[in-house]
Amino acid sequence: MNLLKKEFRLCLHPTAPLFLMLCTMILIPNYPYAVSFFYMTLGVFFICLTGRETHDAAFTAALPVSRKQMVHGRIGMVCCLELADIIAAAVMLWVKSLIGFTPNQAGMDANIALLGEGFILFGLFNLIFFPNWYKNINKVGVPFLLSSAAVFVYILLAIVSTYAVPFVRDCLDTQDPAHLPEKLLFIGAALLFFTGATWLSERASGKRFAMVDLQL
Amino acid sequence: MAANNAPLSVRGLTKKYPAFELRDVTFDLVPGAITGFIGRNGAGKTTTLNSLLGFIRPDGGEVSFFGLDMKTSAEAIKQRIGFVSAGMTYYTGKKLKTITDVTRAFYPGWDDGTYRKYMSQFGLDEGKTPAALSNGMKIKYALALALSHGADLMLLDEPTSGLDPVSREELIEIFLSLRDAGKTILFSTHITSDLDKCADRILFLQKGQLTADMELENFRTQYLLAEIQGELPENVKALTKGVCRVRDGYTALIQADDAKAAGIPCRAATLDEIMVHLDKEEAAQ
Repeated sequence: MNLLKKEFRLCLHPTAPLFLMLCTMILIPNYPYAVSFFYMTLGVFFICLTGRETHDAAFTAALPVSRKQMVHGRIGMVCCLELADIIAAAVMLWVKSLIGFTPNQAGMDANIALLGEGFILFGLFNLIFFPNWYKNINKVGVPFLLSSAAVFVYILLAIVSTYAVPFVRDCLDTQDPAHLPEKLLFIGAALLFFTGATWLSERASGKRFAMVDLQL
Repeated sequence: MAANNAPLSVRGLTKKYPAFELRDVTFDLVPGAITGFIGRNGAGKTTTLNSLLGFIRPDGGEVSFFGLDMKTSAEAIKQRIGFVSAGMTYYTGKKLKTITDVTRAFYPGWDDGTYRKYMSQFGLDEGKTPAALSNGMKIKYALALALSHGADLMLLDEPTSGLDPVSREELIEIFLSLRDAGKTILFSTHITSDLDKCADRILFLQKGQLTADMELENFRTQYLLAEIQGELPENVKALTKGVCRVRDGYTALIQADDAKAAGIPCRAATLDEIMVHLDKEEAAQ
């Protein structure tokens, strides 16, 4: 808990909470809404980049905490931000439903299944970014490039699936509240993926970070 | 459990890099003393300190603090030590108050009274950010944090480098008052004149190897310095522990016991002169 407090008070980059506001992109007609989640991963990139400049690792490593706890603190903060982004997206979906539904030609409609897409995107990002970054915390660019590449391939596949995969096209990519059980099932599965991927990510990151020399 | 209860005990510490190797570093710190950790740039002082704190993983050796093994009790140990590095400025844009609030939460033994006392003694304003502090004030803030959680051992990595003489003097007085209060200090520096003023003991590191671990006075009185105008006599050349070229001739470091045999006038050497001459000799070999 202390580390989470430290992450939020000393490491949070101002762009991360600002990027929460980009969930308003859900109000744009015919837009790949999953991209709005990508901006939060960009916020995570800035947090890690700034941490390098402010010697965050040196400060934290001198505190009475283990390397695994350091990893837990950082990934914990990122999960909080990601969940906040999902909640903000849910609010925007509700706002959009008040304005009036229009089908989306660029991927998933603005419906609750989009939240499932968000969970998958964040799970994928966490799974690739953190284990690569914790190999060398001074090199943020390559891990972000790798995770972003995976995220954009996923976004592309998600858009294509709204045309090519019958279950997505006929059940998920529809106006709420149609096919609500299927959509809730999809969100549940996506949440499960997010949890599993983040757990695996933290495990792998903790192991790697425990072995590396900190280049302070 | 480690073999002894010294504030810091290091046995056979090794770390190998492609271009540098820390070799079999072994020493114990004496409680309540200031130990100067000297050596030229690149001798391995920071590598040693980083290995002690677990920032880098040593290839071999054992490190224990207060009888606790660093491998198994790192968190408990860090409750009792303070690390201050001149090269590190943390969270430049955050207010000191925020950094303190966060730090305080990690230490059950945190004493707010002590913190206030040192902040006031050092003239630090909590409303400022590290970016707005001079190098000397940054060190003082780091010291205030370390002392407020009751650190018994202070590991200081080049705390006086980059400071003006007045600020250095001020810090040395603080270190001496900490020693008087029973704190143990390991003080890494290449500015040996600072240690002349405050150190009780010396650890001398050359090319990754510890070549001296003794009381400062014994280290200093081991050697004498000969100032020679013109060419260096052959009999002195054979006895010297290091020679430096100066404007009118040479200075030669000679073991005190060999001074009579050299047959030339010698004077006491400063720590700086001893370090420079010994390093010259090491480089020549």
